[in-house]
Amino acid sequence: MKDDLNKVVDKILDKYPAKVMKNRKEHILIKDSNENKEISANTRTLPGIITNRGCAYAGCKGVVIGPIVDMVHITHGPVGCAYYTWSTRRNKGRTREGSKNFINYSFTTDMQESDIVFGGDKKLAQAIKEAVEIFNPKAISIAATCPVGLIGDDIQAVAKKAQKEYGIPVLSFSCEGYKGVSQSAGHHIANNNLMREVIGTVDIPVEDQKQFMINILGEYNIGGDEWEIKRVLNKIGYTVNTTMTGDAEYEDIAKAHNSDLNIIQCHRSINYIAEMIEIKYGMPWMKVNFIGIENMSQTLRNMAKFFDNEELYARTETVITEEVEAIKDEMKHYKNMCKGKTAMLFVGGSRAHHYQGLLKEIGMDTIMAGYEFGHRDDYEGRDVIPYIKLDADTRNIEEIKVEKDEKKYRLRIPIERLEQLKKELPINDYPGLVVDMKDQTIVIDDLNHLETEMVIKALKPSFFGSGVKDKYIVQKMGIYSKQMHSYDYSGPYAGFRGAVNFARDTAAGIHTPAWSYTIPPWKKEPILKGKINTEGVEEVC
Amino acid sequence: MNKNYVNLDVNPCKMCMPMGGSLAFKGIENSMILMHGSQGCSTYIRRHIATHYNEPIDIASTSLSENGTIYGGAKNLKHGIMNVMESYSPKVIGVLTTCLAETIGEDIRGIIEEFKQKKDISCLDIIPVSTPGYGASHFEGYYHTIRNIISFYNEKQAIPNEKINIIVSNITSADIREIKRIIELFQVEYVLIPDTSETLDAPYKENFTKIPDGGTSIEDIKQMSGAKATIELSVLIDDIYSPGKYLEDLHQVPLYQCPIPIGMKNVDSFIKALCTITGREIPVSLVEERGRMLDAIVDSHKYNGEGRAAIYGDPEIVYAVTTLCNENGIKPMIVASGSKSYKIRDLLKLNESVVIPDTDFETIHKYVKELKPNLLIGNSEGKFIKEKEGTDLVRIGFPIHDHIGAQRKLYVGYNGSLRFLDEITNTLLDIKHHGYRERLYNEFYVNKGGNKNAQL
Repeated sequence: MKDDLNKVVDKILDKYPAKVMKNRKEHILIKDSNENKEISANTRTLPGIITNRGCAYAGCKGVVIGPIVDMVHITHGPVGCAYYTWSTRRNKGRTREGSKNFINYSFTTDMQESDIVFGGDKKLAQAIKEAVEIFNPKAISIAATCPVGLIGDDIQAVAKKAQKEYGIPVLSFSCEGYKGVSQSAGHHIANNNLMREVIGTVDIPVEDQKQFMINILGEYNIGGDEWEIKRVLNKIGYTVNTTMTGDAEYEDIAKAHNSDLNIIQCHRSINYIAEMIEIKYGMPWMKVNFIGIENMSQTLRNMAKFFDNEELYARTETVITEEVEAIKDEMKHYKNMCKGKTAMLFVGGSRAHHYQGLLKEIGMDTIMAGYEFGHRDDYEGRDVIPYIKLDADTRNIEEIKVEKDEKKYRLRIPIERLEQLKKELPINDYPGLVVDMKDQTIVIDDLNHLETEMVIKALKPSFFGSGVKDKYIVQKMGIYSKQMHSYDYSGPYAGFRGAVNFARDTAAGIHTPAWSYTIPPWKKEPILKGKINTEGVEEVC
Repeated sequence: MNKNYVNLDVNPCKMCMPMGGSLAFKGIENSMILMHGSQGCSTYIRRHIATHYNEPIDIASTSLSENGTIYGGAKNLKHGIMNVMESYSPKVIGVLTTCLAETIGEDIRGIIEEFKQKKDISCLDIIPVSTPGYGASHFEGYYHTIRNIISFYNEKQAIPNEKINIIVSNITSADIREIKRIIELFQVEYVLIPDTSETLDAPYKENFTKIPDGGTSIEDIKQMSGAKATIELSVLIDDIYSPGKYLEDLHQVPLYQCPIPIGMKNVDSFIKALCTITGREIPVSLVEERGRMLDAIVDSHKYNGEGRAAIYGDPEIVYAVTTLCNENGIKPMIVASGSKSYKIRDLLKLNESVVIPDTDFETIHKYVKELKPNLLIGNSEGKFIKEKEGTDLVRIGFPIHDHIGAQRKLYVGYNGSLRFLDEITNTLLDIKHHGYRERLYNEFYVNKGGNKNAQL
């Protein structure tokens, strides 16, 4: 088997020109628990290789900032970038009473050639004025696109001036598309500014503080995931103070520092904030996984352990039992349909890891997984962070340093207990994707179209979880492909009820009768099954 | 009539130039696209085209990073071409620029020349097209790219031939198949560009090929400057972007500009152009198709007369749909486009309608609230107005992301126009059937007086 996989990898690499081959080789590994292999990640994509990666603007405005419900997010640039991020991620957000919701809007300064020549700051300032006059939002964000940094528009100055003039927060993000090597740079830029400008600016009065108050970080409420997660957490007795940033309002984020624990779903996009909050406010973070019944249950038990409260332990177990009981028959049904099938996952910076447990629960092994924009720590675990060599692209992204806030810093649990818990729970830790993969599976970073085709041909999975850009290639090859970014307009997939939705969709996708027609009858031998005697066809079945 | 607020575009009704460029190259045989800029441009554009067509959309990027913005992106561009060439073996690579490449002033022509001198690429054509995102919209980018593709192959005039050039707007794959069928009824040879009838609506095949079959062939494009005439299905594009104008000005190929053949009048003028150029009579089967359409529109006029439409999207489609509405008594209340095609006002001469080029969806929405049309006709981005105002939406144009099958819907020719009109009429009938009994009862029997502005 090992040899076979090595051959598969060699075959993929063989297709490349020598230089490309050398580069891509480092992004591919075959899991072997006997050796710790390094994987190359978060490095530049080679030009002309059809990558699925996006840009810094996509990571900043599209992923992290965009979901904040009551802000007007202005894209400063020519029209395309704003258009392409107009409701294209399925981050849902509800409208609070007396509040506003701009999720279904796209705002842009629609820069023209003359703005590129003469500068766009004036237009931006006017656009902010118009946004305030027409929409009167709680806060505004400005996201820069490629030309903005190049022509030297000072968006920070414009934001500062507008903030003063209109009395509302105006955040500016220099997330020009060319920064970094993928959307990951944009996450970092967004994290920095949220930390610098927003988190910690609104205190919750002591009398309003709730017991078991937590923040969910790196959860963007795609297809309503956050609502399902929150439903379960509320049922147990947690108060979700803020979610970053799915279905969040500006003020929720400003209050984040008041909670007791940060739980992190998507490590890649938000770990910067989690770390900084701990340094500044003393709140630890814990890696969680809401995808799949076992992972969800384990997460809830880990959280209970952190708070160490008898009632909470008991509620946690009651809720898990109730929820699992309600879905177990359906899950069994889908497991029967999917048992023994294999899956490949190529998504983002966390889903390629998170969904493996859920797939396992419906009887499917993940034989290949990879991240679009993950870093080495997302693959190999945070232990490798000190050894990661930063290249110029990453070094160009600002690392902000925060210090302990003497007034607001408080230890949530005694330090000795925290140290003890770190040994038992994933507190301030993420062990990464590779450790959870079976031996003799493949991990490929920044998978491109050529490799997708090769790996599918060689390993013939039943399920390929990725995005819309490769979905139709995979399906034209006769393999079911599921969009793991938009869930093909289904969802939620998180939590207990979400697991059933995913199982149902996956079973349906694998078993759609369409696949039985891919080989036309005239190509199947024999066309007629039956005995032929001298008088003709008999007993045709 | 323009936007009251001119600096903030709220919910744009247009996309960027490289998007138009990509759609154009998708109709060229054996071609790949390489976008010179940040990765985001190609990723976003692929995402948008793939969601509309449900087809693989391979567009490579030169993945310019911060370094490239300082030292120039020549290295990336050359590597990009090399890698696309070696992994996909296309006959053509279309190099489209982006905001980034244009702002840093990349000399893509120069870089490509340098590349060609060092590498033997005799069987590969690299066509550079300048498409800055801030230059114009996707509408102009589309024609501009076709013009560049044609001029790339037609510097010298081709040997005169009997072919007819057909330059199509951004219409569906099914539409292109229909246009080909109509021309073939005239039994003439033609070159249709860009031909997305197969490339963006490819059948399921046993063996997957990286570059889809179909598209306009290079050999055909090379003959365009010697053609008998050009029919350009566009009446609103500026001369500087017009491929037909290029062929006329430089190679004296007579140019016939017709609207997209949607609606009786527009199909008539397309057919008339074909008759004029070929000197042939209109084929009998087309006469019958026209008769069938006429018969149908007579029958459905009483329902269509209750239609009040807000039409928006790409200028050419908006123009053709407005003509169709006018022919059938559907009142075009709002005629809107994000592109700056001001010419549409003069061509439509609609005094009682709001005609707004260069606008955004927020402005369209404002007029919808004010004028209360009972139909929205346009791409899927009108869904937000539909959701808020409850106005029904009949979909046409690009992109259509909330329905499937956009690429195989037929709108052109007598057959297509009629199918589309039926869709509109049936939408009006559904609205009518949904509430008319209650309305009549309230208005005439209990005499509450109906709300005249209510939906039918």
